[in-house]
Amino acid sequence: MKGLKISKKSLLIIASVVALFFILGSLVPGFLSMRNLMNIIRQSSIIAITACAMTLVIIIKGIDLSVTGVLSFCAMVNGLLLLKGWPILLAMLVGLAVGTAMGLFNGLMVEKLGIPAFITTLVVGNVGGGLALLLNAGKSIGAFPAAYVFMGNGTILGMPVSNYIMFFFVIVTSLLMSKTRLGTYIYAMGGNETVVKQQGISTAAINYFVYGFSGFCIAMAGILLSGQLDTVHPTQGEPYQLDAIAACVIGGVSMLGGEGKVYLALVGALIIGVQRNVLNLLGIHPFYQNIFVGIIIIVIVAINIHQKRRTIEISKIF
Amino acid sequence: MGNTQVLFSQRIRKFVKNNGSVVIFLILALLASLFVKNFFALNNFLTIIKQAAIPVIACLGITLVLMTGGIDLSLGYTLGLCSITVGLFVKTVGLPIWLSIVLTLLVGLLVGLINGTLVQVVKVPAFIVTLGSGYIIFGIAQIVSSGSDVNRLPASFRAIGVTNILGLNTTVLISLVICLIMYYLLHHSTFGRALAAFGFNAKAARMSGIRSEALNILVYMICSFLVAIAAILLTIRVNCAQPTMGGGVYTFEVITGAIIGGASLFGGIGTVIGSVFGVLIIKVLENCINLLNVSYYTYQAFQGIVILLAIIFENVKNRKL
Repeated sequence: MKGLKISKKSLLIIASVVALFFILGSLVPGFLSMRNLMNIIRQSSIIAITACAMTLVIIIKGIDLSVTGVLSFCAMVNGLLLLKGWPILLAMLVGLAVGTAMGLFNGLMVEKLGIPAFITTLVVGNVGGGLALLLNAGKSIGAFPAAYVFMGNGTILGMPVSNYIMFFFVIVTSLLMSKTRLGTYIYAMGGNETVVKQQGISTAAINYFVYGFSGFCIAMAGILLSGQLDTVHPTQGEPYQLDAIAACVIGGVSMLGGEGKVYLALVGALIIGVQRNVLNLLGIHPFYQNIFVGIIIIVIVAINIHQKRRTIEISKIF
Repeated sequence: MGNTQVLFSQRIRKFVKNNGSVVIFLILALLASLFVKNFFALNNFLTIIKQAAIPVIACLGITLVLMTGGIDLSLGYTLGLCSITVGLFVKTVGLPIWLSIVLTLLVGLLVGLINGTLVQVVKVPAFIVTLGSGYIIFGIAQIVSSGSDVNRLPASFRAIGVTNILGLNTTVLISLVICLIMYYLLHHSTFGRALAAFGFNAKAARMSGIRSEALNILVYMICSFLVAIAAILLTIRVNCAQPTMGGGVYTFEVITGAIIGGASLFGGIGTVIGSVFGVLIIKVLENCINLLNVSYYTYQAFQGIVILLAIIFENVKNRKL
């Protein structure tokens, strides 16, 4: 019964994407050109990678509000090292390590001090944002090595390199969630933390893993974005906070925890990417886009919670 | 003799526990006076008080919200919206000043009503509601202003915030009056007790006859209302209505103030004195950083570390003392 319900939901989400796609294709001039479509999926890859990790965080009833700051900071660290002439891989590794460390710190605060995830991630995000500005005195950097820019902008066999990386992340995370014991534990922890503890499973390990992984993915998204734009601006992570959460919410990840599929978050990311692209093509200012995304998030979460409340009694959600 | 000594040390402990931010403020001020050049001067103290006056108003608002166990991430954006609203009404539309202010305060109340309703009635988690509404409010502020500021506001409007009465700036006086009202509301009225009860245990509060639905919505409305007042005063102070005023950084600063002031993230705990000194601590730090000529970016990163220390301190304190 439950499996049927979820597949219905997935079907609904995917069907609405296809419908959206065709409607927009016929209505918006320039939407269906190959170049534009490539652009959309390339831009969506950043949202998708962030949303991948966000899905896991939301499944364990958390949230990661550190995207803006951590994304910019890791990209900045990585970019500055690249300009210093470090090998690309080594610079990336340092950037990823910084992101993971910030994520692990979030996990530590949530696990050891029981601090609400939205506070610790908000704080860490702000520290990251401040450090990103501090590192280069608020200035942008750019002109990275060609191989690095290729990672962001190049194509292999007609598909952007960014999207190979995106698919790699989505597939690995999906497999992790569906095929491994860790994935089962993560779902279980979102469903009922006490039961998980009673089974002798370490919730600490799960918290560290999920938040650490989130930091890692955010750093990866930041690095990829800097490759795509060939620039690092200290506040360039700003739009991705809302987009990542929106992607998850549209993809049906429940804010009540315990439920959500990574590949549907990818679909959600594509929807957000398409929405931004179409509104750009129609010449609608990003202010309106943010209003739109903000409303979508609130409405979908409200509907989701309303549906759940009919079946389970929830006196206080958070 | 020994007995009274124990009592004395207990009383000190209790004082430190309840007024941690006052103690931290005093220590910080002492250290700054000793080590930072030009800190210990009457003019500098007045500057700090002037700078703290406006954020204190917003901070008292968020303290109430934190006491319910909620949060308002849209606070900084509401500030921007209210700033541009009052600017547009006073200068561009040319409405009478009192009407512009009333309308701006109504905008604040409306924002709070929407946030509160979504949190209480629709049961969407507060951080999601206010994250989303923050982006919406920011967008609206940008749209109504077409992205541009309103400069050079009428002198009669500015007089509200920049006049001196008995040597004290009206902004500071207004802030002081609001602090007193909030002090009464939070610590000497049924509203305050109901709020604390609701924050500790919403279910128990409801069962003991507290109208928790109305209370929760009211709290968000008060918060946004206070933010609207802060927005008007800040607009007067910088003599420019900006849609980008406030923003995420401001939200963060105000939340930091409340948390340093001992407001609990889990609801139920929060004091006016704590929050006032929480903001003063932030402003002293900011002042020292200015005096020491350190870049503002350092301060932004530093502020995050301060709030982390405050959270950890609160946690440890609640376990040990």
